[in-house]
Amino acid sequence: MPYPKRIGPGRKVRLATAAMLVATTMAACGQDDSANSSAPKAPATIPELTKDPLTLSFIWFDWPPAHALEAFANAEYTKERPNVTIKVKTVPNANWHDAMFTQFAAHKTDFDIPILDSQHIGEAVTNGNILDITDFVKKNIDVKAYNPYLLAAYGQYPQAETGKRDENASLYGLPLLGDTWTMIYRKDLIGDKPPQTWDEMISVAEKCQADHPGVSGLAFHQANGSDAAAVTYNTVNGIYGGNLWDAKTRKIEGVLNDAAGQEAMDVLVNKMKPLTAKGSGNWFIDEVNAAVAQGKACIAFNWIAASGGLLDPKQSTLGTTREQILDKLGFATLPSGKTNLVPLGGMGMHVSAYSPKANQAEALNFMKWFERADIQKKWAAAGGVPSRTDALASPEFLNAGPFNQVYADSVPRMRDMWNVPEYARLVDIENTNVNAALNGAKKPKDALDDIAREQQSVLDSSGRKGGGGL
Amino acid sequence: MSDPVPLTTDHPGQVASATPPAPGRSRHLSDRWLAVAFISPALLLLLAMSVFPLLWALYLSFTDYSATRGGPAHFIWFGNYTAILASAQVHLRALTTLIYVVGAVALQTALGFSIAYLISRRTHGRGLLTTLFLVPMMLSPVVVGLFWRFMLDAQFGVINSMLGSLGLGQVEWLTRQRTALISLIVVDTWQWTPFIMLIALAGLTAVPKYLYEAASIDRASEWFRFRTITLPLVWPLLLIAVLFRAIEAFRLFDLVYILTSGGPGVSTETLSFHVYKVAFLGFNTGTASAYGILMVLVVIVLTQLYLRYLNKLKED
Repeated sequence: MPYPKRIGPGRKVRLATAAMLVATTMAACGQDDSANSSAPKAPATIPELTKDPLTLSFIWFDWPPAHALEAFANAEYTKERPNVTIKVKTVPNANWHDAMFTQFAAHKTDFDIPILDSQHIGEAVTNGNILDITDFVKKNIDVKAYNPYLLAAYGQYPQAETGKRDENASLYGLPLLGDTWTMIYRKDLIGDKPPQTWDEMISVAEKCQADHPGVSGLAFHQANGSDAAAVTYNTVNGIYGGNLWDAKTRKIEGVLNDAAGQEAMDVLVNKMKPLTAKGSGNWFIDEVNAAVAQGKACIAFNWIAASGGLLDPKQSTLGTTREQILDKLGFATLPSGKTNLVPLGGMGMHVSAYSPKANQAEALNFMKWFERADIQKKWAAAGGVPSRTDALASPEFLNAGPFNQVYADSVPRMRDMWNVPEYARLVDIENTNVNAALNGAKKPKDALDDIAREQQSVLDSSGRKGGGGL
Repeated sequence: MSDPVPLTTDHPGQVASATPPAPGRSRHLSDRWLAVAFISPALLLLLAMSVFPLLWALYLSFTDYSATRGGPAHFIWFGNYTAILASAQVHLRALTTLIYVVGAVALQTALGFSIAYLISRRTHGRGLLTTLFLVPMMLSPVVVGLFWRFMLDAQFGVINSMLGSLGLGQVEWLTRQRTALISLIVVDTWQWTPFIMLIALAGLTAVPKYLYEAASIDRASEWFRFRTITLPLVWPLLLIAVLFRAIEAFRLFDLVYILTSGGPGVSTETLSFHVYKVAFLGFNTGTASAYGILMVLVVIVLTQLYLRYLNKLKED
């Protein structure tokens, strides 16, 4: 039986369809040719604000400070701007970078104020995603009220030298929440006095673990998501006198994996890791807090801004009241070693370049309001960590939590990672390799050498033709 | 007098198009144009959502374009493709993916077919059993990943608790190289064995009963009946299920993301997870597009080989 003759669009129709698709594709691909690749400037003076109802949207990851900020801003900012509602949109920590930068890539954001990690600044500035607020800061912000490095870390690009600020550099953000690691220790197990040096801390944890079966000596971040394992290694690296890179020559190979870097990796994998709980190789903020709250760790390290829940009797087995918990838990600055460096955490607030003009004006007004001395103290009382020096020394801040003094003492000791545009890839390389070393998938020396080699290759790959990102 | 219109024809399509419009319909609106009008919304949707992105990805794969850096896309021709094919990082992920696909699909096929065979022999409660077995397949992979992550936790998980009560030691399910990949295979198997079971059950229930009756009369053993009747008749259908599962497993992302984040190190990073990192950590859109196109090509080639084998099997 002969097959029926095929019925369908003719050759001309098929050709026309194909041509239309190719043309549409080429047109769509060409749309970014005029894209601006440098950050647009914000006005020095805040433009006239709208009297119409307006929602000012932030984007952050889901953790207690995000909810505290929304409650605080809606309670306080609306006293001055009753037509404004503050909305803090939250995403899981692991999606935080992607959630912001995929919207930046689309040149359209559903947020006005992205809360960037300090290391994201380079990528956002280079791509023109956030406003240059240098002139705005000069006219509206009292820069002398801050520790210079805090102001630089959350806003300056190119990156400042550790502990300093370049007054001639441009600013793209202002501090929102300060943070660093605190050492959390069990006073009832190791005594009231915290260890003062890193080596002493390790031996105290070792003894505590041996004396108290079922309780691990240490708990710290080891996961390969976000920047968990990378921050842990960077902290130990700093304490043992290592460097992450030479910023001036953009050299990582031979700097990160020098003798100090190798010693830090050896201490982390061979001395600290054996003191952690079995299976803790994927722990991050929540898991460390859970171990402390359940009385399963002698000494733990965590971000201060995430430590508030430890004092909640509903979440802890250490006591039925806050006081009972505080009888057992102590908070201290990190022990020192060859240096006394501590990791810089926290985030700054920035203005989306794709936000409507009225929202950008409102965002600038919010930033000016937020950085006022009286508001910074109120933010401290509400559970936030301010950045102004006067707020850090205020009783509102120091009395708000047992770890706030730790933060105030840690400010002069802070060191940050790189805030270059390649940050996301650099941190992923470090995270996966440190995680591999901590979980026995790589030898410590091999892991460190791989980090240095792969990170260097990322920094050197700008002229490479093809395969970027592998 | 003209010839009468034949009632039947070897060209049914032509007859349909020659049919005059129904009363009340515009004279210009033939059946053919009506058909085009009906399928065009679906066709346009397909073009917009599938064909156009595919063509765009194909174009980008020959460029150094980055979605966040903006600026024009520069043609680098096969630069991305050669870099991907020569990359040791990609080879490592390909090996991980291969181990995962083979392990997961083999386990699911063995278990799925066994369960289906046992269910098919029951006369009572078959429907209820089938429904209960299908529950894991109806859950979102993210939900499955999250509760398995809790269950496999070395410190607080129920699996280690059960092992402990049996006097066995703790196992680091998600943080050791070998156990992490095995855990992924086990979780995927838990969720997708019902799919194989369902297809196999359809095949088993379609086997004509008279064949078994004839075999019984000939006093054939159980094993003989299974080997000569059941398996040959169900095998082609089972292979289709294996094909679907293999394609699904090849592009595994969600379980890896939730359970291990590719760790420890990169030891459970599959190709799809690696593409995600290339695409969204550095926003190397050109490289990621080439990577995705290569993955599609691999699936197409393997599927073609597989289908040819399946056709040959049917012909034999």
